[in-house]
Amino acid sequence: MQTIEAILLEPVGCLAESPSAPIYEDVVPVLAELKTMGIRLYIATSLSRADATSFVERHSLGEFFSGIWDSIGAALAGASLPPEKTMFLTDTAEGIKAARAAGVHPILMMNDPDEARRLAMHNPAGGIVSLHEMPDFIRLIAARNKTG
Amino acid sequence: MKNISIYRPSTVDEAIQILSQHGSSASVYAGGTDLLIRLKNRLEQAPSYLVDIKKIDHLRYIKEDAQGGVEIGAATKLAELADSRLLQEKYPMLVEAILKISSPELRNASTLGGDLLQEVWCQYLRGGYSCWRNGGYICYGAIGDNSYYHSAMGGRLCYAVYPGDAATALIPFDARAKLATPEGVKELSIEQLVPGDMLVDGRIQSHVVRFNEILTSVIIPPPKPGVRASFEKLRPRGVWDFAMASLAIGLQLRGKTIDDSRVVFGGIAGRPLRETAVETFLKGKTLSAELGEQAVSVALANAAPLKYNATKIDMAKGLLASGLARLNA
Repeated sequence: MQTIEAILLEPVGCLAESPSAPIYEDVVPVLAELKTMGIRLYIATSLSRADATSFVERHSLGEFFSGIWDSIGAALAGASLPPEKTMFLTDTAEGIKAARAAGVHPILMMNDPDEARRLAMHNPAGGIVSLHEMPDFIRLIAARNKTG
Repeated sequence: MKNISIYRPSTVDEAIQILSQHGSSASVYAGGTDLLIRLKNRLEQAPSYLVDIKKIDHLRYIKEDAQGGVEIGAATKLAELADSRLLQEKYPMLVEAILKISSPELRNASTLGGDLLQEVWCQYLRGGYSCWRNGGYICYGAIGDNSYYHSAMGGRLCYAVYPGDAATALIPFDARAKLATPEGVKELSIEQLVPGDMLVDGRIQSHVVRFNEILTSVIIPPPKPGVRASFEKLRPRGVWDFAMASLAIGLQLRGKTIDDSRVVFGGIAGRPLRETAVETFLKGKTLSAELGEQAVSVALANAAPLKYNATKIDMAKGLLASGLARLNA
């Protein structure tokens, strides 16, 4: 995997359990750390753009995201992102397939172990148990690329 | 098994030079009971060059130092530790723990350094799955069968538990590790040596030893007066196995009053887990039959078991109660 420059996130499942649920407790510190690391963050969602914008505003997450898009393809084109240096964080089979089709790295958010085991059959490029692992994930990729 | 080349340096400096030359594709080879199995398992990160340190003088010894402590060479066999009268006299709990590591046959080959720095024994890693420690980007233990070899105290990418018993047993004695590095000798506490999943030289590993460093010895300070210590271990098979949960506990007593303590759990987290909440609770308390139950109530409040391993926490708490009872007997 090439060193990652941008992460696309599906808010439901990655930042909160549902559109109306509170965000997970590690979301703000992790997004802040990723931003400090120079990673560009975007929402790429199956929600409508209006619902996604409302979600971001309601949780005061606007400062972390450089854009909100209603598909991976729109985000790649709109923000001029190199797909091979971009991850898409998702907890659905559809998300994994969409990311593969767009050439970005699908990363499985393994919220429920049984569901994650099923989704792992769809060949994600990686998986995390919790969002707090994402900064180390990015660092590990960079370190592996550096050491060959 | 992949093709490998073996170097046999005669000094630590020479070994460090070779390790520096080959980077992460070389590895120190002593007992081989972990390393050779990693090679046999064809793991992605298994080395291509082995640096055999068995012929290096001054890495295999147990000696008393001028202060009354003991220094143990990293290449000393576990069986030699178990047979050492010096260790039995000064640190019987350490000997007790060593005797619960693997089998007599393996203890005849395994070294103290190897036990401290061994790779995790997750069945997915050892089965060749492409996980965090094997070139991949996912932990199969977190979503698969995690009942034996995975953390019940949270994780950081890899959820395998740190498998060694020696580190768990050495921490209550405030033991330190000595490393030879290209920049000179470095000394660390055992907790600093094995702090859990670390990103070192582009790898996830349980210890902080870099590719061009060698663990040379472990130094145990002189036993403190009034110290009583105990090592407990629960394992899937009583004959020999890794810990489902283990406990090394040391109490410094004045009569029945606990002046200081060390409480370290093994087999439940990505590192030997020093439980400072229990240590704080025990300070100033009187060692009694009831103390175990009270200590259990403050232990492991941050437990975060995976789907199949909550029982590890119950086991660890049970060991705390039985360990305190044993020290009270």
